[in-house]
Amino acid sequence: MNVLKDKKAWFIFITPALLFYLGTVFVPIIQSLNYGFQDWNGIKDARYIGLGNYIKMFNDPYFWNSVQNNLVYVVIVVLMQVFIGLFFALLLSYIKKGAGIFRTLYYLPAVVVTVAIAQMFRNFYSLQPLGLLNMFLDWIGLGHLQSAWLSNPDTALIAVSIPEGWRFTGMYMVIFYAALIAIPKEIEEAATIDGVNGWQLIRYIKLPSIKHVLSLALIMCTTGALRGFDIPYIIGVPGSTTELVTTYMYKRAFSTNQYGYGSSIAVFIVIESLLAVLLIRAIFNSRKGEA
Amino acid sequence: MRSKKTAWSFLLYFIVIMILIVQIYPVAWLMLSSFKSSIELTTKPFSLPSVWSFDNYVSVLRESNLLLYIKNTAIVTFSCLLLIIFLSSTAGFALVKMNFKLNSKLLLFFTVGIMIPIQVTLIPLFIMYKDFGLLNSYLALILPQVGFALPLSILIFTSFYSYVPNELIEAAVIDGCNIYQVFYKIISPLTINTTITVASINFVLIWNDFIFSNTFTNDKQYKTIAVGLQEFIGAFGATDWGQTFAAISISIIPIIIIYLFLNKYLMSGVSDGAVKG
Repeated sequence: MNVLKDKKAWFIFITPALLFYLGTVFVPIIQSLNYGFQDWNGIKDARYIGLGNYIKMFNDPYFWNSVQNNLVYVVIVVLMQVFIGLFFALLLSYIKKGAGIFRTLYYLPAVVVTVAIAQMFRNFYSLQPLGLLNMFLDWIGLGHLQSAWLSNPDTALIAVSIPEGWRFTGMYMVIFYAALIAIPKEIEEAATIDGVNGWQLIRYIKLPSIKHVLSLALIMCTTGALRGFDIPYIIGVPGSTTELVTTYMYKRAFSTNQYGYGSSIAVFIVIESLLAVLLIRAIFNSRKGEA
Repeated sequence: MRSKKTAWSFLLYFIVIMILIVQIYPVAWLMLSSFKSSIELTTKPFSLPSVWSFDNYVSVLRESNLLLYIKNTAIVTFSCLLLIIFLSSTAGFALVKMNFKLNSKLLLFFTVGIMIPIQVTLIPLFIMYKDFGLLNSYLALILPQVGFALPLSILIFTSFYSYVPNELIEAAVIDGCNIYQVFYKIISPLTINTTITVASINFVLIWNDFIFSNTFTNDKQYKTIAVGLQEFIGAFGATDWGQTFAAISISIIPIIIIYLFLNKYLMSGVSDGAVKG
């Protein structure tokens, strides 16, 4: 059909989207790479310093501290979103009546404005005035455990990670649930006839069937947590206990105007995310032989 | 056998409801608290409000810029949605249904965008917008939101178009349609559900955006709700929680209502995105 080979029409359909994409996503990335090699504060002339920013980064203890915090953040967020999300989805897949309503309501936290969630948790964690969590501890007779969770250096990082994990657990549940109910019923029935018990059914039939979705969710969730920003930025404590790589980059760039140094940290985030993707893919592919 | 089954089913519902409470209780508690006086907030935190008071709402609406922020958020979100739907439906159509060698490479180029962290573009975009005098404008928020929404939106549209039979297009052409008429008269009406899916996913993401608003606006004239809500944080410990909760409730009620109406479409977008992707 000639009409589908109309070059002019093709350009008219694609060019606007391509321009938006190039201008707001692609060109800035190239510029970020470029700024990463410059010493620039936005006012005086930029100066190329080669790998200077990267060398500075590798010798910057605050940077490494943020990397370390970020890894803890990733672990907590992944555990909550992927593992708890999978657990919810499995439970829900056995429910016959009302699964749709539960699914809708579990997802609800994911649509609430991040700042609202951050503020809400700031209240829950508060000691002065007494927040919900501390009130609850008092109510169940564990009042001696009360703490200012966000400013206590031992708990601050965990306290800023939990809201992020909590709000998207329902989203991952929706993804896993959709995959679980898409498994053909015949496979389950055949296995049950063969005498497979409930746990074996999950371990050897259900989980392997949704392996593709699991690896994708793990990639989404890990890269999402590597670039986690909002909640730690909004309710994190000043200082370094809750500093993540993104919040550190943000402060370097927008509070101290080190645009060059900030850009090199941003490039680090991209590389780190790519490595995570490759690592997760490698782990899942190596398991192929076993299954 | 039967009693064992009933017990299992009872336990199942019990756990599922417990989880539901953990997921929903914080939000419900917050909304209930917004109707309480500050004394009641501290003395009876878990009970229902003894008197349903709208004082917090009245003072928030009177003293803060909350309505302005909601208006700004609505302007930005709806402009973005219109652009996203227009751009991704047309580009997706050309990429799937038109015959050009470049298509598969372009589609890959677009979808790579899903992986890109927003933070990488913040510094260059900030500098660009500063140079063009775009900081503190709706445009500074709309442009990047649209750019970052395109990869996923195009992907969702392409997966729909791939199910549309070519015979349909052929028939329309025989009837005398040109390519633009084929798109607007034949294809677009078929994509209503996909369009709602794309719109509802992006609605939630853009309405909730914090990082772009926080970086590109500081003038309250252009602040969105996500950034504006922060104004309720007082000096440490000095937050008026009653008012803060009322402000949060005002900002989340519209999105919760929209979500409950559109959740079918949102769910299908979220689950298909991952399951088929």
